[in-house]
Amino acid sequence: MTIFWSLLRKELIDAIRDKRSVMAGLYYAILTPVFTAALFMLMIDKFSSVEDVLITMTNVEQAPDLVAHLNREGILHSDDDAKKVAIELIIGAEYGRQMNRGEPAEVILIADTSNDRVQSSVRRIRGALGQYSSQMSALRLIARGIHPDALRPLNVQLQDRATAESKGGMFIGMVVLLTLLAVFIAGMNLAIDTSAGERERHSLALLLSHPIGLRQLILAKVGAVSVFGMAGLVLVVSMSKLVYPLVPWQQFGFSIHIGIDFILAAVLVCIPVAVLAASMQLFVSFMAKSFKEAQTYITFVMFVPMVLSYAVTFDVATDQLRWAPVTGQLQALIDLMKGQSTPLLALGVSCLSTLALSIALVLGMERLLKSEKTIFGL
Amino acid sequence: MIAVANLYKKIGDVQALDNLSLEAEDGQITGLLGPNGAGKTTCLRTIFGLLKADAGSATINGFDVAKQPIAAKRELGLFPDPFGIYERLTPREYIQYFAELSGLSRQTAADATRQVIVDLQLSEIADRRCKGFSQGQRMKTALAQAIVHRPKNIVLDEPTSGLDVMNTRVLRDVLRRLRNQGHCILFSSHVMQEVASLCDRVVVMANGRVMAVGSPQQLCSQSNKDSLEEAFISLIGTEEGIDA
Repeated sequence: MTIFWSLLRKELIDAIRDKRSVMAGLYYAILTPVFTAALFMLMIDKFSSVEDVLITMTNVEQAPDLVAHLNREGILHSDDDAKKVAIELIIGAEYGRQMNRGEPAEVILIADTSNDRVQSSVRRIRGALGQYSSQMSALRLIARGIHPDALRPLNVQLQDRATAESKGGMFIGMVVLLTLLAVFIAGMNLAIDTSAGERERHSLALLLSHPIGLRQLILAKVGAVSVFGMAGLVLVVSMSKLVYPLVPWQQFGFSIHIGIDFILAAVLVCIPVAVLAASMQLFVSFMAKSFKEAQTYITFVMFVPMVLSYAVTFDVATDQLRWAPVTGQLQALIDLMKGQSTPLLALGVSCLSTLALSIALVLGMERLLKSEKTIFGL
Repeated sequence: MIAVANLYKKIGDVQALDNLSLEAEDGQITGLLGPNGAGKTTCLRTIFGLLKADAGSATINGFDVAKQPIAAKRELGLFPDPFGIYERLTPREYIQYFAELSGLSRQTAADATRQVIVDLQLSEIADRRCKGFSQGQRMKTALAQAIVHRPKNIVLDEPTSGLDVMNTRVLRDVLRRLRNQGHCILFSSHVMQEVASLCDRVVVMANGRVMAVGSPQQLCSQSNKDSLEEAFISLIGTEEGIDA
């Protein structure tokens, strides 16, 4: 045990003095929340104002009242081909007469609904036309002495239970993912330096010539890289706590709030993820013959959490992935930030499977380091 | 005491060790002399358990490296080639780290480190980071690492390669002192002069086999030559891979 602490202490001292290792984690942890907050601020416009729909309207003089209604709803006529949507609204030649007589007045909407953009605009125009239509019918009923409610047998009320947090699902998912990735990125350079780098500097053979257990050595290295990963995580959440309150969330309809409870939960839940990240990165770097080669391999390791988290973001097999390493922790943190409850059993299984996978990788490294090929990079 | 018996080791297609047997006694400096590629480093790596022999055994003070690696390695100090210095540590940190890995407690390791720094006159550089050290400073740091825990057996792989005259003398003095204290010293070299001036016993190696064993004088008389260099060439039958 004493030897384990000697190994870990040395790994950490060596790592903290390595500028490249420290900077790698520092840049990510400080810049990511800043860039994300900046991105949100740039997106405010997209969120807050609804754009006008410009279409072609013909025969407008027949229906000035209808056109005024559409204009109030942000549906306008335009002659500028570059700006308008390919939708044509034709008001029937008989419109005025039909309206006066109380007959259904003809309005023709021409559009290609296979186009997504056109489709959403058509939906909006139809909504506005339907609204006008029911206003007119209410007026006609009143003129005939009938209460307009006679034509409203159902009173449908939608009570939206989405909270401000749950509405911003995708963005919250993104922020949590960027937080979790810190665990992978902060320890990356150290993982290479302490494995492939150690061999390149010829100190690995010297280390292994000493009366120490291989397992102690590997665990000390995994420990040091995990500590770096966790330091990156703590830094990223602390930075987020400082930066995110600067974003004017009231204009978004949701908010990203980093509370102390989220910070504590993130630290706790990410410990197994950090251990897994460290084990994966060390495993592939020990397989590499040189520092450069290890840098290439380690990029593939980054792929694993990325792909898994895309699956969560795009809602692919979300329920199954709750039980899996990395995605389980990711979803639990997303739930927490959205203010929803998370199934603790699944989180527990996910954490245990994360640790089990790490143990398997440690055993794999033990096998690797027993081989002469790995020690001398043959 | 280091004993190697009937070692066989194939690396790739090359038979690096071919029925190699040798002994290094306590209180003696034993030189492993051979041309480049003779199998010297392979032999030393096997003694440290870094390479597994295909057949045969290596024992250190009676502990078989393959069967009791921890016990065997505790009896050893290694001066490797290349040194394997951690550039971001100071010599004091570096030496103490390896002292702890050799089984000394933190306090004992710190005391032993202080002592070896004085013994090797390292005090001036002891608390500077190793980055940028000269070859001589690196050699001293590596040597301190090898002897800090006072192992009974010290193994040196090509210890004088890249050293100037002054540093070579420092190294020789330390090795002689250790021999006089009763340590067993085994070193490999392809430099004739170094072996001739330092060794009590020379093991001449070529192609993974022992060609001859004896004191430098014995080897000369054995081959009827005046100098060890001539003796060596006649023993291995070629001049290739030897530095005078």
